[in-house]
Amino acid sequence: MEQIEKPQKQSHLTAELSAFWAMAHKELIIMARYPVNFIASFGQTFLIVAIFTLGGSMFFRTSAISASGSRVETSTGNPSGVVVYGFILFMFMSDTLWTIGYNIRNEQVQGTLEQLYLSPASKFASLIARVTNTLVWTSLLSLTAAALMTVMIGKLPVKNPWLGLYLLVMTLAGTFGIGFIFSALTLRIKETAQTVANFLQFGLLVLCANFFPFSALPPSILFLSRLIPLAYAVDAFRSTMMGFPAGFPELAPFPIELMITTLFGLIMPPLGYILYRRAENYARKHGSLSTY
Amino acid sequence: MALRANFSVLFASFKMRLMTITRYPGQLVMDIFIPIVFAYMPILLGRASGSNPAAVFAANTGTSNYIAYMLIGSSVFTLVNFAFWHVAYWLRWEQEAGTLEALYLVPTHRIWVVAGTALYSCLRGMFSALAAYVLGSIIFDVNPFQGEVLLALVFILVGLIPLYSLTLLYGALILKVKEANALVNLMQWGVSFFMGIFFPIAIFPPLLKVIALLFPPTWMTNGVRSALLGVGFFFKTWYLDLAVLWAFVLITPFFGYWVFNRTERSVRRNEGVGQF
Repeated sequence: MEQIEKPQKQSHLTAELSAFWAMAHKELIIMARYPVNFIASFGQTFLIVAIFTLGGSMFFRTSAISASGSRVETSTGNPSGVVVYGFILFMFMSDTLWTIGYNIRNEQVQGTLEQLYLSPASKFASLIARVTNTLVWTSLLSLTAAALMTVMIGKLPVKNPWLGLYLLVMTLAGTFGIGFIFSALTLRIKETAQTVANFLQFGLLVLCANFFPFSALPPSILFLSRLIPLAYAVDAFRSTMMGFPAGFPELAPFPIELMITTLFGLIMPPLGYILYRRAENYARKHGSLSTY
Repeated sequence: MALRANFSVLFASFKMRLMTITRYPGQLVMDIFIPIVFAYMPILLGRASGSNPAAVFAANTGTSNYIAYMLIGSSVFTLVNFAFWHVAYWLRWEQEAGTLEALYLVPTHRIWVVAGTALYSCLRGMFSALAAYVLGSIIFDVNPFQGEVLLALVFILVGLIPLYSLTLLYGALILKVKEANALVNLMQWGVSFFMGIFFPIAIFPPLLKVIALLFPPTWMTNGVRSALLGVGFFFKTWYLDLAVLWAFVLITPFFGYWVFNRTERSVRRNEGVGQF
């Protein structure tokens, strides 16, 4: 009689990592199966960058300046640094809302959410797995956009790379936490989440001053910006990478912004997780998990 | 089928779409909010650029009124955006909703259904674009009714026909390639780039300028700007620019319809239209 092989026991951590890798792998395979989507993303990024950069350049370039070949500086520093670093964070922020936050609905629409909940795999790993997609895809798009904008606006200052990297990691962690919270919201409000995501995306674009310095905002809007931790993260990141030119950072002294960004990166992910689990439990109790 | 019956189908399609969107009032608010935010960004960048942004802007574009310039651009972008998403994406939408098979079984030609969708898109686009322009002007303390408003409206209304014909062409491409979302996203920004929503196309190199001038929306945008802000028509006078737009009106609908029909027939013969 054939001996039945006993299944090898996996440690809990190994099982979790295995499930996470399988989910991340699935997301990457889906990404690779749509090559037109992949190429169009780069094309779209190029066009968006070109449109806003050329529009902004109408305030900088004149025939006299073009002839002399000199670079124009804004009254508040190198526009390249202000715009490019802000744009990079905007791309991550925007992608977080849609890929992590709203994407829970894709699982519902595809009909795979029920299977996911019937399996012993971690449900939160499904959420985390989408972070991988964001990191890979959005990083590539951000690098492309940064290179393009540098060509069009001017040399990009790269100062304090390690401190900048730390701030980037903390900011990304915080935005991923926002994504988890939005995922929780999506479970509750369903299709309306699309409108809310649009509103948040463009609202944060203005309030976090991704394309322009905070000094350009009217006082009433600047007041609102000061209430948003992400605004301090944007300000700290680009001020650091630009080497703290005069007037930067704009919202608060750098040590305070560093502290806010660190707390933002440490607190938001677990907070997002707690809120997501609450929303998930609520949906399960009320039978709305599979409805969309 | 009698013309009256076909128009009945057109209005039924229009009414259905209109009823659907009234169930999502938040989306209508966003339709007005987003163009203002889009225009706000280069406006704010301009305000941070130095002591006299209006003067530098005037040297580059022909007008110092950069707020109205950007608002006009983003409002026209809204029109283009809706045209592409509603019409080019129309067949894909029918596939996803599961109503495509029913459409192919009825005696009415699908062109009347898509015409109803186009009418809905026009109405929604015009409402959003005008509301965004007027509200944005009020917010930024600019007169929205300066210049020749009626002439600007004429340019928009005449420009809508070739714009929607262009979306039929693009719809044919989507039928073939199938990855609708990515292509429509790319095209809306592509057309916006060539239209010069935030800058004059005079800054393009010669080849890009020629391509831009082959786009009807480019003439529409410049026509509206010239009428309201006096930046200058391409052919120096309004009636010559309008004549070019009319030439597009005569050519593009038939060309767009012909290409779409051919592509649809080819797809039906091969993999079938239901596959997406």
